[in-house]
Amino acid sequence: MTWLWVLVSVVSGTLGDVLGAKGMSERGEMVDFGPLGVARVLRYIATHRLVLVGIGCNAISFVSFLAVLSLAPLSFAVPATAMNYILKTLLAKWYLCEQVSWHRWAGVALVAAGLVMIAF
Amino acid sequence: MTRPKRHAGLRNRIFIVLIILSNTFGNCLLAIGMQHMPDFWGTSFGAYLLALIGNPWILSGTALLTLWMVSQLSMFTWADLSYVLPVTASGYLVTAILGRWLLGEQVTAMRWGGTVLITLGSMVVSQTPVQTKARFHGRDE
Repeated sequence: MTWLWVLVSVVSGTLGDVLGAKGMSERGEMVDFGPLGVARVLRYIATHRLVLVGIGCNAISFVSFLAVLSLAPLSFAVPATAMNYILKTLLAKWYLCEQVSWHRWAGVALVAAGLVMIAF
Repeated sequence: MTRPKRHAGLRNRIFIVLIILSNTFGNCLLAIGMQHMPDFWGTSFGAYLLALIGNPWILSGTALLTLWMVSQLSMFTWADLSYVLPVTASGYLVTAILGRWLLGEQVTAMRWGGTVLITLGSMVVSQTPVQTKARFHGRDE
């Protein structure tokens, strides 16, 4: 049961971040960090459809993460749900068209290896 | 259109620290809050929801995780997803330390080793360009 909730958390969290990144990358780069600049970003987040769907997916991920926390300790729950880094990197390359160099893949491979050590 | 950025500036560092701290402390507060919650499977949904809303640990953890989400979404306006996520993964080290020393959880040598590998991975990715694709460069509005 614990791993089922981990799976739900990973899939919804992956969709949430990919859609959120897609939506935010369509906006101009944030350079104003004053109150008005922050308000403009919040307004964009609250009105952009892709970002909102991403937040919805992340909300599902959040609730399923709470379910994981109710079944397992934090030091297991957080790293176990980190397998989404691999999925997100693949989608960043294929869907967001980012250039994922061997350097980045090496970093992701280290993260994945760390996850295997934590899970077993 | 902007050209790919090669160096992470002060703005990146500030946001990376903000994302890591809000996420790790938010998760930690949630974990403390969950210890004061009724059994997830033995309680009705309504009663569980009320217990969640009335739990200050859960509320403050949720507030920090909201800050984390907004910070991360803001960083996506200038940085790649495949850069932001692995770089901020170094927060797992902070989480393991908090889990061990603040919550008293048992963290085995294997888990410490895994956490160190995750941190090394994030350090490798942090050496790559922040942004690898040209994107729309509009005004900040």
